[in-house]
Amino acid sequence: MQLRRIIPWIMLAVLLVLPPVLPRYYLYLLASIFVIALLATSLNFILGFGGLLQLHHAVFFGVGAYTFSILLLKTPLPFVVAVVAGPVAAAFTALLIGWFCVRSRGLYFGMLTLALGQLVWAVIFRWSALTGGDDGLHGIPVPEVFNSLKTAYYVTLTVLTVCLAVLYLILKSPFGLTLMATRDNPVRSESVGINIRRHRLAAFVIAGFFAGIAGVLFVLVEKSVSPSLLSWSKSAEIMIMCLLGGLTTFYGPALGAGIIVFLSMKVGTYTEYWLLVLGIILLVLVLVLPQGILGFLAEKYSGRGGDKGGWGKDASG
Amino acid sequence: MDAGALGSQLVLGLSRGMLYFIVAAGLTLVFGVLRIINFAHGSFYMLGAFLSFTVTEMMGKQNPNGFWLALVVAPLVVAAFSIMIERGLLRFVYGQEHLIQMLLTYSLVLIFGDLVKMVWGTEFKSVSVPGIFIGNLSLAGIIIPVYYVFMLVVGPLVALGLWLFLTQTVTGKICRATATDRQMVDVLGINSTRVFGTVFALGGWLAGLGGALMAPMVNIGMGMDTSMVVYAFLVVVVGGLGNIWGTLISALILGVAEALGVLFLPNLAIVVPYVVIGILLIIRPSGLLKSVW
Amino acid sequence: MRKRFNLHYLAWTVIVMLVFGVLLTGCGQATPPNNSGAAGSGGSKFKVKVGYIDSLSGPAAAYGKSTEAGIKIAIDEVAKAGGPTIELVERDDSFKPDLAEASAKELVMNQNIDILVGTINSASALAVSKYAKDNKVLFINSDSMSEKITGAQGHRYVFSIVGNTAMIGKAGAYQMSKMPYKRYWLAGSDYEFGHSVVNSVWTNLQQMKPDVQKINESWWRVGESDFSSYINAIRAAKPDAVYVGSGGGDTVAFLKAINQSGLNKEVPIFIHAATDHDSLRPLGQDAPEGVYGTAFYFNYFPDNAMTKSFGEAYKKVTGNYPGFAGLNGYLTIKFLAAAIDKAGSTDKEKIIDALEGLSLDTPVGKGTIRKEDHQLMLPMVFGKTVKSANLPYLITTDNVLIPADKIMPSVEEVLKTRKK
Repeated sequence: MQLRRIIPWIMLAVLLVLPPVLPRYYLYLLASIFVIALLATSLNFILGFGGLLQLHHAVFFGVGAYTFSILLLKTPLPFVVAVVAGPVAAAFTALLIGWFCVRSRGLYFGMLTLALGQLVWAVIFRWSALTGGDDGLHGIPVPEVFNSLKTAYYVTLTVLTVCLAVLYLILKSPFGLTLMATRDNPVRSESVGINIRRHRLAAFVIAGFFAGIAGVLFVLVEKSVSPSLLSWSKSAEIMIMCLLGGLTTFYGPALGAGIIVFLSMKVGTYTEYWLLVLGIILLVLVLVLPQGILGFLAEKYSGRGGDKGGWGKDASG
Repeated sequence: MDAGALGSQLVLGLSRGMLYFIVAAGLTLVFGVLRIINFAHGSFYMLGAFLSFTVTEMMGKQNPNGFWLALVVAPLVVAAFSIMIERGLLRFVYGQEHLIQMLLTYSLVLIFGDLVKMVWGTEFKSVSVPGIFIGNLSLAGIIIPVYYVFMLVVGPLVALGLWLFLTQTVTGKICRATATDRQMVDVLGINSTRVFGTVFALGGWLAGLGGALMAPMVNIGMGMDTSMVVYAFLVVVVGGLGNIWGTLISALILGVAEALGVLFLPNLAIVVPYVVIGILLIIRPSGLLKSVW
Repeated sequence: MRKRFNLHYLAWTVIVMLVFGVLLTGCGQATPPNNSGAAGSGGSKFKVKVGYIDSLSGPAAAYGKSTEAGIKIAIDEVAKAGGPTIELVERDDSFKPDLAEASAKELVMNQNIDILVGTINSASALAVSKYAKDNKVLFINSDSMSEKITGAQGHRYVFSIVGNTAMIGKAGAYQMSKMPYKRYWLAGSDYEFGHSVVNSVWTNLQQMKPDVQKINESWWRVGESDFSSYINAIRAAKPDAVYVGSGGGDTVAFLKAINQSGLNKEVPIFIHAATDHDSLRPLGQDAPEGVYGTAFYFNYFPDNAMTKSFGEAYKKVTGNYPGFAGLNGYLTIKFLAAAIDKAGSTDKEKIIDALEGLSLDTPVGKGTIRKEDHQLMLPMVFGKTVKSANLPYLITTDNVLIPADKIMPSVEEVLKTRKK
């Protein structure tokens, strides 16, 4: 369908011309949405397309953010090195955790990501000499240019666009297609000679890398980090975003991130019961619309139902 | 370091392990049979503690029977909640992906967290230890608060009860069979989803019992759901997902390791359980015992 | 094999759950009524919007809610006395620093507020403080006890109304140095607050009394549920005294464990805020007697008119007497209102100038905001827990007021930390 191809470009064009007319608060809100959108998309890369139950994705987000912050704050290394080191550290953490996890499957995989992710959280929480403990690190000395909201807006938007493009290309590449094949039918994939574990590990590391990029962007926008970035509830929040937008769709998680971040700020102005509202949204979503908004639209308008595959039917396989 | 202190610490470690076991047993049971990671388990635990507070308050704070009544009522109410959740919500997603099922339970965490705040308010709550459990028991230099002796009795009783349920009742046998090989159970013509309600209620009951048992020891307040459930998850993973005996062993190992850590490395006690978990997971990535009873 | 979702069942479930919820509400306690909002009292020259960010849900909600009540009482009082009309815009950070920072930005950019107050979470307070510095808005820290706020990370736009870990440590050491104990065991909750308090107590105590020795330290995770093994280890080491730096909820649980094990009968124990009403009230008669503790505030000592009037006002609103968190919220607004009146303006820069050096009478005594570091200097209280003949909870005895000059780190010390 032609229209569906055009929509992302229209979105991008609108977002590019918006800043001059937007109040500065909405510039900030959109910039933080872009950061979380990248994080959610990186999670969906393995969760939706890789079929891997990654339950603690925020860990890589946090590791990226912390590495970047610590290098800027405590070492004289140039900015560029720190920018690169953030995602690399996240990818390396993903390699370590993934190396343990890909040996088990389905829910076991999920539980291990949760347990090991929690260990990383504990290290960051405890190692206060380096990470500031639960007080976090504040006033990260990012270059002056990022103090302008407009710069932050354009930088996050650009990085988000580039990263989405790269992730999209990876998914359309032989590697991505193989990844989806291991999700849809692991047994057959293995029998045609695909090394499932290595494939999944590679996908896990790629997702961790992009989550690390999101972590660096977060610091550029907020200039502070704290252990709540890699908390368990943060990971759950990203999963909710993926589900809301549609796990089987490429742009779904970004849409979900936009909706959740926007709602959390809006609902927060009326009530202190935002988590209750989020819980009810999630409950209704799970029961009535488990395919997500974009998944639903795709089903309705194309009759094909997007890239439905056999997601999760064999998540234990 | 005298032998009495060491002995006390070992016994205290065991009782701490029993406590982990009671909370984690329900989690692993539900996981084994329903194949659902129940994030709401911590909420059930919290609910058990808060209900225990309400019951003891209604009975009068100094009434010794309040504690016993709470120990009976709180887990039952939580179990009733669990049945409603299973029948009213969970069963609609049995055919769905794991992630959907898990996120359903997570939505309950969010909802219960705020509901508890609405109902009970944010102030800290406390339940008194019943009169007969006040004080220490002293034996050959080993000093243990009496309440911990009680925990040491309740823990094995729960384990024994679970063992009887799983091996001596039809429902229990179906549970074990479902956990081991669900396809085979379906092929045999047994509707495995039929036992799900029972198991989920049992899981809720265990969490509620854990909450009611812990109520006299802890500060009852917001956030006690997550601080316990994360630990219970670790216990379950180390023990072998879905395996109750693995959970018992890992809970005891962790409890004792922590207690010894407190005695010998008090400065780094918090790191000890993570190191133990790390080592156990490296040695046995899929848990201490396999997912077969 | 997707089972079709049936709305009928959902409706049924929701109804049953609602009924259950209503029943439970009957058993539980109702949320205190909020008779806030100074509207209609009239007579004031100035109107100002204040953004209030705090943990109104999450593990520290007990304190956040308490501060909120204190703030609302002060807003009413100020308006009635003809002071500025303060409109409060509240945001819950759920104990998450990133949410606190996002809320601060929303309040400043979207609601055009340039006075912020809050928050119990130290990381939240530090993040908001940093944002306030970069964007030149006023932030008054009402709750967080991190010494970094007016210390290493202090600046022109941040003020702190609550005492901090450095002061807690100095006050504790000042009292402990008068006692004969030499061999100490140190313990606490394993996070920044716990470590800072214990560290500060110990450094100060070593200076005041060079012959003290540390046997060892033990640390538990925040939210620890079982303290028996920690208590046994302490008992085995046979120290002369124990100092504990634990955070809110942990203090309550640890007090309970002390009482159960009888450790308070074997060794003197010092815990900051163990004597605070918010720590003792939940425990009723199950709190241990004879535990020493510094605190920012007792609602019965010193026994003066302000203590009484604030205590009763707070009780009228919440049903309980206040602990320190209630007083913090109250004082934050009192100081802000006084500064607005003194400045004769609602301009933030003028308010800041007015706040510097501002003195007010408070229930704990005269409080002055130190010009150099923007920290409120206020006496602290110290006492020993004791059962009361006619109250359902423990209070303190042998109360003393520790003068502010004994607990404040010197200006030089503070400014030195900022240079680094």
